[in-house]
Amino acid sequence: MKNIRFIAIAGVIIVMVILSALFQVDQTQQALVLQLGKPIRVITEPGLNYKLPLLQQVMFFDRRLLVYDAAPAEIVTSDKKNLVVDNYAKWRIVDPLKFYQTVKNITGAQSRLADIIYSEFRVELGKETLNDIVSKVRTRIMETVTVNSNKAAADYGIEVMDVRVKRADLPVENERHVFSRMQAERQRQAKKYRSEGEEEAIKIRSQAEKERTILLAEAYRKSQEVRGEGEQKAIAVYAQAFQQDENFYNFYRSLQAYEKALVDKSTLVLGSGNEFFRFMNKAD
Amino acid sequence: MPWEYNGKDKSGGGTGLQPPDLEAVIKKIKQRFGGKFPTKFPGGIGVVLLFLFIGWFATGFYIVGPDEQGVVQRFGKVVYTTNPGPHWHMPTPVETVLKPRVTQVKRLEIGFRSTSQATPSRYQAVPHESLMLTGDENIVDAQFIVQYLIKDPVNYLFNVADQEKTVRDAAEASMREVIGKSVIDEVLTVGKFKIQQEMKTLLQIILDRYQVGAAVVAVQLQDVHPPKAVIEAFKDVASAKENKIKLINESQGYQNDILPKAKGKATQMINQAMASKSEMINIAQGDAARFLSNLRGYKQAPSVTRKRMYLETMEKVLAKVDKIIIDQKVQQNLLPLLPIDPFRFKEQSAK
Repeated sequence: MKNIRFIAIAGVIIVMVILSALFQVDQTQQALVLQLGKPIRVITEPGLNYKLPLLQQVMFFDRRLLVYDAAPAEIVTSDKKNLVVDNYAKWRIVDPLKFYQTVKNITGAQSRLADIIYSEFRVELGKETLNDIVSKVRTRIMETVTVNSNKAAADYGIEVMDVRVKRADLPVENERHVFSRMQAERQRQAKKYRSEGEEEAIKIRSQAEKERTILLAEAYRKSQEVRGEGEQKAIAVYAQAFQQDENFYNFYRSLQAYEKALVDKSTLVLGSGNEFFRFMNKAD
Repeated sequence: MPWEYNGKDKSGGGTGLQPPDLEAVIKKIKQRFGGKFPTKFPGGIGVVLLFLFIGWFATGFYIVGPDEQGVVQRFGKVVYTTNPGPHWHMPTPVETVLKPRVTQVKRLEIGFRSTSQATPSRYQAVPHESLMLTGDENIVDAQFIVQYLIKDPVNYLFNVADQEKTVRDAAEASMREVIGKSVIDEVLTVGKFKIQQEMKTLLQIILDRYQVGAAVVAVQLQDVHPPKAVIEAFKDVASAKENKIKLINESQGYQNDILPKAKGKATQMINQAMASKSEMINIAQGDAARFLSNLRGYKQAPSVTRKRMYLETMEKVLAKVDKIIIDQKVQQNLLPLLPIDPFRFKEQSAK
């Protein structure tokens, strides 16, 4: 009975010792084994590991890609404009020993990264104009800052994998200027459209009126020409007929004229000596 | 007290938790230890341990849902992945399983947040995310959503900390990069589709570089408009454009109104002239023919015909008109007394 109890207690103790010697490193982790505070082993592969119980401790570090999200900061560009840059960095712990010795933990690392990245950005953005930063050289700047930050961060066992500008916007007070400029630009455009409309309308109207006038004038000319031709021909016809006996024509045409001209409303005052009344005075 | 119950009634069989042969095993164990163990537990400590072991073993069973994939870790290290269906892994703490939903499309709202899922959905604008500079130093307000899913569960789960924030940050960065290369008019009008495509490509490149294990399904620009402060000016441009078109249309209407009328008028004038030409010629020819006929007749007896024609004409003429005939002898004296005004004369005669 005593033996069994002893064996049981011994068994429990052995199990506890074994358990405290084993530790598990997760897929997301890497570990540093310290022996009485002195780093002796770095474990970068996940899985089951062992250490000396009591004498050795384990510190775990993240193996994943971590994010450092900087607070938005104002930076002056080469054309003396202010730009609010909000960037983030993707980094990971590549050397847990160095990392532990220099910055201890993630909070420490982030404050170092803040210093490094901000100063790199200030240098790079200070070389460029605002417009270039926004549209042209953004990618190149991000790459340069990444490379330089990575070099600087290597001392801390950190790899800076990517620094990226999340936002590069104007400060609020400059934004207002941009708005008023945008407004002026649009007003200019609106005015342009309005007066262009009027211009086009006047052009079209006057063109139409011009065409109308020309059309009518041409028609008038043509109609007069036609009439003239008609008159010419009529005159020729008349002349040819009438010149055959001019005397008879005078008589004939006069009689026609009397008939036409002297209508109902006319009043004739005639002398009795008129040819027509020849026989009124005397019979023969 | 199911233990005691089963112990008493062995023939109960199938209804109990233990199959009959297990009972026999327990008996054997009991016999081997010679009844030294306390009899509080029927079957003794061995049975308890066995059941604990079976229970522990059973915790290794898991089902991967149709929208999931199983990722098995042995002592924290990823060893293999499993597809939908029932599976077994070595029980904790040796192996554990994670079951991310790989077919579920995740949705990120950038520049706005839905505040209620009900229809009509309500939105809350997030200006510091949506206002961005364009390449021509204007500002646009662009709201968009990003849809992505897990394409590599191992990478997604273990490569990157805070996956959603990673995608969100990369999305914001790439949107600004793309918009920064465009000009405002393009962004607001025709360039939407192009921007979506470019941004999707860029975002995927960034995510692949981070090895997030996420695939971008779609980038959709929800609402792109000028900032509130200048929206009126933009609307005014649109209405000015409309106004221009209106003015042009009106003047074209005017043109369409007067030109056909003028053409008609012109044709009318020419037709009238042609008609009058033809009329004049025909009248002349007719008159001439009549004259010549008269002349031919006249020439046969000029003197008589002349008299006849004169008298016939005068007869007709004088029959129609009012006439005053004054004797030759009084003519000289009377003439000054006559009322010359024909109108007054007519009035008097009418009375």
